[in-house]
Amino acid sequence: MSKSRKVTPPVTDVPSDAAIYARDLNFTYNAKSDFAKHALVDINLTVNKGEFVAVVGHTGSGKTTFVQHLNALIRVQSGFLSVLGNDLSVKKPDLKALRREVGMVFQYPEYQLFADTVLEDVCFGLKNFGIDKDKREQMAKDALELVGLDYEQIKSKSPFDLSGGEKRRVALAGVLAMKPHILVMDEPTAGLDPRGKSEVLDLVGKLNRDEGVTVIMVSHDMNEVYENADRVLVFREGNLAYDMAPRDLFRMEEEIRSMNLEVPAMAAFCNELERQGYPLPDSCRTVDDVFAAVLKFKETRDV
Amino acid sequence: MFRDVTFGQYYPADSFVHRMDARVKLVLTLLFMVGIFFVQSFAVFGFVTVFLLAVILISRVPLRSILKSVKGIVVLLIFTAILNVFFTKGAEGEQPLWSWWKIEIYVLGLKNAAKIFLRLVYLVIGSCVLTLTTTPVDLTHAVESLLKPLRVIKFPVHEFALIMSLTLSFIPSLIDETDRIIRAQKARGADFDTGGLVKRAKAFVPILIPLLVGGFRRAEELANAMNSRCYEGATKRTCMRVMKLTWRDYVASLIVAAFFAGVFLLYGMADKWGGIIWLYY
Repeated sequence: MSKSRKVTPPVTDVPSDAAIYARDLNFTYNAKSDFAKHALVDINLTVNKGEFVAVVGHTGSGKTTFVQHLNALIRVQSGFLSVLGNDLSVKKPDLKALRREVGMVFQYPEYQLFADTVLEDVCFGLKNFGIDKDKREQMAKDALELVGLDYEQIKSKSPFDLSGGEKRRVALAGVLAMKPHILVMDEPTAGLDPRGKSEVLDLVGKLNRDEGVTVIMVSHDMNEVYENADRVLVFREGNLAYDMAPRDLFRMEEEIRSMNLEVPAMAAFCNELERQGYPLPDSCRTVDDVFAAVLKFKETRDV
Repeated sequence: MFRDVTFGQYYPADSFVHRMDARVKLVLTLLFMVGIFFVQSFAVFGFVTVFLLAVILISRVPLRSILKSVKGIVVLLIFTAILNVFFTKGAEGEQPLWSWWKIEIYVLGLKNAAKIFLRLVYLVIGSCVLTLTTTPVDLTHAVESLLKPLRVIKFPVHEFALIMSLTLSFIPSLIDETDRIIRAQKARGADFDTGGLVKRAKAFVPILIPLLVGGFRRAEELANAMNSRCYEGATKRTCMRVMKLTWRDYVASLIVAAFFAGVFLLYGMADKWGGIIWLYY
């Protein structure tokens, strides 16, 4: 591994509807030492605006390294990366503009709360991005209501007095208040009860559908990936192993298991139905979808 | 950002020094640290250098990782050396080597600076050899074992050792957590690198508070975990690995003791043997 940056020809043809555009993206931890670890190897991908993309992979597969690139928390070592038209492979990208447009929700985001009141905490990001005071409150209010909290009741409470689920929502509101165009989330549902999980996923789905927010979600829960994402990126040892629609991906049960990933229950069920001769449309991912499809199939056969 | 604070961390290897009893290593290191202050001449510093290099060679720790830890105190080293150069007055009637306005540099000042520099470097290297070849667990056991006599005056030796080992084991996870919080606040537009002193200090509040809260959370979780396993401190606890002296420890002790007996002897005899110029500089 050479220490110098690989020379990449300037990429000018970034598609205009691409939210994320990566070409030959490489990243190595401890590049100079004997413990060098290639976290990303020649990643090439394009995510279009408005997509809901899940990122999966075993621990240490490079998925977290990849998503941290999107916010320039990790800087491009070699290759080309453009996020919403911002070229991140240059030496000094405009971080403020980028970070305002790319909201990042970390694992256990409630551990980043710090302010005296919920309102102050949600306003932290808005303040950093230089939004006027009177405007800030309105945006914070919108965000808190969006995550399903009662603004008047909660705004002057200390974030440390809230319950675990409420803390998570306040932290989410702190990111959503900035109205990001891309929302990057690292296991947003980890440690939540089933109801909390589905509330977070519903909220994200709504943002994606109604507001056109591009969603990048890292997840270990294949069921949640299967039911929510339009597209799945599978990372394996720093490589982008698969990049396809969830229905196509989870048809390959053997390959999925060989990467130590689980086959979602619904996918296994759909696969079995298909083997039994039921034709299912590719959009078939939830119980309701399957139910409708099977009913329709029966009708056509009965007629 | 904080990844490089890890100097002096245990370097796993199988060597004579690694296999020595941690208590012996601790005592010998202390002896070395005291002994280094009795070294007066550059000739003896030469002997100490050879001795240290031999120990490092035997320990199979790469010289690079030892020098890395010296890098951590480089500022302190330069600072003390410079102070010594400028503030040491030469002997009565001695001509300064170089002078400008009120600043005078004497040969003695240069020599003193060099000696202090060497002493500090050797102190750091000596303690690094200890921590690089001894796991934190062994080290705390050694401290506990060596402090045992203090029980007579009701000093809570075991608790002290426990606090020490918990502190050591929390450092990596706190570094990780700091890293994570910094990233999270950066993602929300926090800026730690621009602005005046006050602004920069204020910028650290969003890091420190979650870090403190997290620290208390971890402490409470650990306390609960210990309580639920009926942890009771010093009462009738035994160790899984009982420390025992072996031939290595006797050999090493003898050699080190003999070496520093020589150093002390030279120190004591310096006046008498003043004529032997290469020993007493």
